[in-house]
Amino acid sequence: MARVIVVTSGKGGVGKTTTSASFSTGLALRGFKTAVIDFDVGLRNLDLIMGCERRVVYDLVNVINGEANLNQALIKDKHCENLFVLPASQTRDKDALSEEGVEKVLKELEHMGFDYIVCDSPAGIERGAVMALTFADEAIVVSNPEVSSVRDSDRILGILQSKSRRAVEGREAVKEHLLITRYAPKRVEEGEMLSYKDVHELLRVPLLGVIPESDDVLQASNQGSPAIHLKDSDVATAYQDVVARFLDEDRPLRFVNYEKPGLLKRIFGGK
Amino acid sequence: MADATLQGKLIEFKGGSLAVMTAHLRDTEAMRLADALHMMLGGMPDFFAGEAAVLDFSQLATFPDRVDWTAIVSLLRRYQVQPIAVRNLPEHLHEGARRANLAILGNEGMSAERPVAAPPPARVEAAAAAPAPEPVPALSAPTLIVERPVRSGQQVYSKGGDLILLAGMSPGSEVIADGCIHCYGPLRGRALAGARGDLTARIFSTNFGPELVSIAGVYRTFERGLPPAIAGHWAQVRLVSSDSQNTLEITPLGSD
Repeated sequence: MARVIVVTSGKGGVGKTTTSASFSTGLALRGFKTAVIDFDVGLRNLDLIMGCERRVVYDLVNVINGEANLNQALIKDKHCENLFVLPASQTRDKDALSEEGVEKVLKELEHMGFDYIVCDSPAGIERGAVMALTFADEAIVVSNPEVSSVRDSDRILGILQSKSRRAVEGREAVKEHLLITRYAPKRVEEGEMLSYKDVHELLRVPLLGVIPESDDVLQASNQGSPAIHLKDSDVATAYQDVVARFLDEDRPLRFVNYEKPGLLKRIFGGK
Repeated sequence: MADATLQGKLIEFKGGSLAVMTAHLRDTEAMRLADALHMMLGGMPDFFAGEAAVLDFSQLATFPDRVDWTAIVSLLRRYQVQPIAVRNLPEHLHEGARRANLAILGNEGMSAERPVAAPPPARVEAAAAAPAPEPVPALSAPTLIVERPVRSGQQVYSKGGDLILLAGMSPGSEVIADGCIHCYGPLRGRALAGARGDLTARIFSTNFGPELVSIAGVYRTFERGLPPAIAGHWAQVRLVSSDSQNTLEITPLGSD
């Protein structure tokens, strides 16, 4: 039985695509056959983050319209054996996504033996975002530690409760996870940023992890390699923790406390 | 189309509520209504652009023995108003209205003065356009219990009774009850109790921090923040009347 996981947030630029790329990679590295689908039709990005933009021939909309089959459209990841990317179409808009079409694609992926299907949602609460979450079994709600992002996450949680197939059919509710990204403990300490406890208290959704703010993410995007692959990076470690917690392993939270740099570090600098 | 299950899906009946215009008629004489409409909209005969309307007779002083429904309906149609139902009409006029293809709505529903927001889609209610049978009096006021958090952008309405929130509500959400609102958890959005004018309705919360509270239409916002004694604590909101004026009183409740 394939599990469909939507990565969503409401607000743009909070780290949905970065999270989708690293999270799906993490699942694949654990041996699960994983597909990651870009639902941001018209503003395709996931292929860039995954570094497969030059190999896109067919896309999600082609499959929905029957112009290509899934095997033709799925792009095998360059790092992981078990990971496949289904890119969005850049030349279409979100109206090209139909509920029946999306359902057909997800069913077919399940028949192909995928364990996890990660849906990278576009920002907003319109058609694209609703299509991405309609068939979700679980949702990772990505939020930055600031009020407008938290408010938008709250809104999308409400939409999950009312528009997901599980909600409409009155089945067990979509399992919700909160992921806080771009977290800067120093700024929290200085009172410039909401703490992860504040965000958790405002949204009241189980916390899946906290990803620290880091330049590494930009570097990873530019290289077209998901951040989870980075060596010696807090971001990579934090994403590995997220995948572990998702698989019900116990991992304490890291990178949430600010440690003042020691004397030597202050003198000689360092990262 | 041979499949019987497919055939069954050609038509589907679903409950739901929709906002619809109400036309209050203070006269039933088509000629006088025509004059009034002409004065009001003379230059804009297509002002309503085919909008549906419920004809409400609650503001009619005396009811005649019979009403010329055909004349009223065709008059309204001339102004592109589409009458679909009547409300607050005495029994003896029902038959005629029915013959004019107007649905008879019960006299309950939203109060005329205060439009109440639509309940959430999850709750099933009779469609406004369906001819409602005689309303069956409820044995006790129904209480709506919401077990999950009410999120930003969501709206919950407990019609005719109390509302109990077991997981709190978020900023940007709205809860409305005709009775009291009990919130176990943070109360952070807009909470409106006594929506149909019940002055004795109250709001209770174990973690008080709303954007707006209202009881029977008397409301209060908190632009300058809440007093520390109640912010984030147990509190209740009620109406107190002094000198024939109703004011909201917010007081701490129990111990924290």
